[in-house]
Amino acid sequence: MNKNWDVIVIGGGIIGLACAYYLTQDGKKVLLLEKGDIGEGASTSCDDMIFLQSKKPGILLTIAMESLDMYRKLAKDLPVDIEFENRGGMVLIESTSQLGHMENFVRQQKALGLDVELLDRHEVRKFCPLASPHILASTYSPIDSQVNPLHVMRGFVKIASARGLEMKQHTPVTGLSSPSPGHWQVTTGDGTVYETEVVVNAAGAWAPQLAAMTGIDLPIKPKRGQIAVTEAVPPFGKTNFWSADYIVMKLNPEFAKERDSLLNDLGIGLSMSQSHSGTYFLGGTREFAGFDKSVDRVALRLILKEAARFFPTLEKVNIIRTFAGFRPAPGDGKPYIGPVVSQPGLYIAAGHEGDGIALAPITGYAISRMIAGKKLPFDLSELAPEGRVQMWSTID
Amino acid sequence: MEEIFICRCEEVTRKELEEAIRDGAVTMNELKRWTRAGMGLCQGKTCSKAVMAMLAEKTGKPLSEIQPATHRNPVRPMPIGCMTKGDQDDDARS
Repeated sequence: MNKNWDVIVIGGGIIGLACAYYLTQDGKKVLLLEKGDIGEGASTSCDDMIFLQSKKPGILLTIAMESLDMYRKLAKDLPVDIEFENRGGMVLIESTSQLGHMENFVRQQKALGLDVELLDRHEVRKFCPLASPHILASTYSPIDSQVNPLHVMRGFVKIASARGLEMKQHTPVTGLSSPSPGHWQVTTGDGTVYETEVVVNAAGAWAPQLAAMTGIDLPIKPKRGQIAVTEAVPPFGKTNFWSADYIVMKLNPEFAKERDSLLNDLGIGLSMSQSHSGTYFLGGTREFAGFDKSVDRVALRLILKEAARFFPTLEKVNIIRTFAGFRPAPGDGKPYIGPVVSQPGLYIAAGHEGDGIALAPITGYAISRMIAGKKLPFDLSELAPEGRVQMWSTID
Repeated sequence: MEEIFICRCEEVTRKELEEAIRDGAVTMNELKRWTRAGMGLCQGKTCSKAVMAMLAEKTGKPLSEIQPATHRNPVRPMPIGCMTKGDQDDDARS
């Protein structure tokens, strides 16, 4: 059989499509297989924020800043309006204990080069007159941005297709094997076998199922994110918003005791961003619920209560839709980006959890450089799958 | 050419929908996500039949094989106050 493809990318979410975009830019002949619709798992069921302030200082913040720069370029290069906007972001602080934690967090972020500052009560009011008077302070970063992931994916598809990408939706992969080093066979649901030298596992929350086909235990679990969408309204402020209480808890787990236990079980914390069409995304939950894509009333009520606590005027605003997506949550909090050294030709680009949109460009670019055997202009060794995944084959 | 609006809420034209199909959208969900047709206040109640007919025609599939886009709550726009002021006990969580 002929090896018709240089690379087969499995997964048609924003990560897989970013890989296809940069691989075809590099002249590779790429086949992309997606089991459902484009972006069906998480990339179309999310908000639109590239929120650097929520990233833990360290590798994730560093590469998110790189990725943001790549989005600025993509906004010019892609043939669709990706609605990239640099609106800035605020993390709203409600108590003095939150303020103490956030002051510390802001110091660490500044040390890594993030432009972020603290605003007092009066400045908060100036930025967003509709914010609840109980809000004590806020962080503000002019860097936080947003992008429409649906349009980014369309742009990737459009350009990559023009460069020869073949994309097959509704084509689940049922078998993956390597008869000899650097030779891969990918079997799909209809029994077709595709041959290639390189496979990229970009299957998001489903990446572990694919990894298991070659004996790899990839510790990624689906984390459900429930989100409500409002009708189009005038802006509630200049920026997009997060609540400090969730971020503080993420950084200091003992802080969870100060929160309602149901909020903790569901992983609820306010995230609020306005799309170009004027609708607001009100989020959200971060909960382990298997592959159940439903939205439940308890969670929805809590999300809306959170949002209305910060912006009481929201009570008069309509919601027009709710949805849920599966954030691929990695075992140790960091995505897996790089080759599986013991299985030549196999690469993983998965486990981005809530950072998939923000990190898609840098992930796709990094994977394409690695496959081409070229040097990376930044160090991603901390994200290498090696040593972070278990091989079943090492047991026998 | 005359401009024909298919989705009135989001003012999406026939031309824009045809372009999205040419760009590779093969289902109602993909078409909706790329054009916003059906994403507005009525959530596709008005335009979805017309869009489905277009998708069938352009992809050469019989209309019976075109699945509608995913329907989600709420059934119609609902003020947030209705949920925040409600009683937590209304929620039976299994």
